[in-house]
Amino acid sequence: MTASAGGLRWGHWAGGLYAIWLREVKRAIRDRGQLIGGVVRPLLYVLIMGIGLNPYFRGEVYGEVHFVLPYTYVQFLFPAVIALNIMYTSVQSAVSVIWDREFGFLREVLVSPMPRAAILLGKILGGTTVALFHGALVLALARFADLSMTLGDLAQGLGLMFLIAFALTSLGVVIANRIRSFEGFGVFSNVVILPLYFLSSSIFPLDPSLTSAQTRVIYPEWLVTLIELNPLTYAIDALRGAFIHFHQFDARLGPAVLVAMAVVFFAIALRDFRRA
Amino acid sequence: MNAAPAVEIDHISKRYGRTLALDGVTFDVARGDVFALLGPNGAGKTTLLHVLCTILRPDGGTARIDGVDVMKDPLGARRSLGVVFQEPSLDDRLTVEENLEFHGLVYGVPRTLRRARIADMLALVELEKWRGALVRALSSGMKRRLEIARALVHDSSILFLDEPTAGLDAQSRERMWQYLRNARGERELTVIVTTHYIEEVENCDRVCIIDGGRILANDAPAVLKARHGHELLRVVPRDETVAAEIVAAHADVATRIGEEIVLRLPGDAFTESFLARYGTRIRRLSIEEPSLESVFLSLTGRELRDQAAGARERTFEFGKRGGEHTR
Repeated sequence: MTASAGGLRWGHWAGGLYAIWLREVKRAIRDRGQLIGGVVRPLLYVLIMGIGLNPYFRGEVYGEVHFVLPYTYVQFLFPAVIALNIMYTSVQSAVSVIWDREFGFLREVLVSPMPRAAILLGKILGGTTVALFHGALVLALARFADLSMTLGDLAQGLGLMFLIAFALTSLGVVIANRIRSFEGFGVFSNVVILPLYFLSSSIFPLDPSLTSAQTRVIYPEWLVTLIELNPLTYAIDALRGAFIHFHQFDARLGPAVLVAMAVVFFAIALRDFRRA
Repeated sequence: MNAAPAVEIDHISKRYGRTLALDGVTFDVARGDVFALLGPNGAGKTTLLHVLCTILRPDGGTARIDGVDVMKDPLGARRSLGVVFQEPSLDDRLTVEENLEFHGLVYGVPRTLRRARIADMLALVELEKWRGALVRALSSGMKRRLEIARALVHDSSILFLDEPTAGLDAQSRERMWQYLRNARGERELTVIVTTHYIEEVENCDRVCIIDGGRILANDAPAVLKARHGHELLRVVPRDETVAAEIVAAHADVATRIGEEIVLRLPGDAFTESFLARYGTRIRRLSIEEPSLESVFLSLTGRELRDQAAGARERTFEFGKRGGEHTR
């Protein structure tokens, strides 16, 4: 193949990728329900649950008030709400894979001269963009959570949010590819999103001053094990590192787990997609 | 100019479990032809089309689109293809224009050409006024037209249409064929269309009759009629005993279709003797000129229309049981 033909081909793939990405974004903008969810969810979690539980977020030892973490509950919860909003949106856009399949649009793309990898990447990047946007919506509530962050924190946080969104959209596509009959998004919400979220030390901390063995004395062992196995635990930990400079685990673990999730889930999604 | 046939199919086979959906199918489609694949539902038309679109791998055989092997270079083969699937494949949350723009981008049509083509194709199918409308607002006939326009936005020289007129009213069907004729005036276009509407294939250059995954005949409509067509005598007997008697006496030429008996006419003398014998005991009788309908009947021993209706009923039955979501 000549150099110019190769250039044309890359230009075509980039254009096709852009078209698939743009379609995802346009569809999301036109879906009012999704947007309303993206706005209401953080309001509920931050303003009601966060502020409501704020005074109870402390322990008393020998009559002395003792804070497990040097942070308020809203501050602790805030990064997790970002992750929750990203998770809902990522999975929701991945579920559109099912609609594309059922309503035939997938075929239109499959018979086009676009390679499968580019089609999948465009789809996942589109979902990632929308999820990142919904995550960023939560940032508007930062002042209610008494959060002050530098531009550097913000940039680091957005980078991590992108990785979370990419990894979760890929995971959503992997799950969607395995589903033959579709009962609606509610099933996803109850079976995938909420369990992952509640088992990620998102709404309660594991005391970081305790060892893993000590934690297992305070909490039931099964609960601690599930939390430690959940990759989202480390994703949220990484977000906390960026926004409130607090880690329950090794600071390097979060980004490493996120990159691994993104790569592995995308690879599985691609393998499934090529086979389909 | 490429001299190879538009489509070359060589011994394509495909098996689904124990059913042989395609059994060594072999034929070529010449450039510029309108080629009809005619057969009852389940004959293998759609399977064959999916193989040619490169979304289904056959178990054996080779197929070339525009000289490009669909198995070895699927991306290359898809470049010259325009496809209109049986089920609509538009994004109904995008506008008419956005659907076409999307298509142009994924087929790598450069911007200036894309703009021009989209305008031309919208004019071709008379949807200019609906440019900015969401696709969900269109009628099913308009959606079909939009899909044809979309399949022509890139440099497609071969157009596949899978049952393009199914579910459309007679007027929309006629218009759709008119658009296809107009498109062929605009560029060199080979059209391959599957259908079970026999009246639509009369104007095609070639008709390929397929049943049970095998090609039964492949020729110009006139040649098919001359070779396989017969005059048909359609009789509605007064009662069941007469019907049984007729079928028993003419087992070699008679086929029962509902209350009707269709007899292949061996000659004019037959009609006279038939009338003399049963004339008072039949309710209705008509003689039919050789038609593609009779070609199909004599090749498959079945009537196309009944087959199609049967399949439709099966689909309704399936839907009543809860359809796709019960599995």
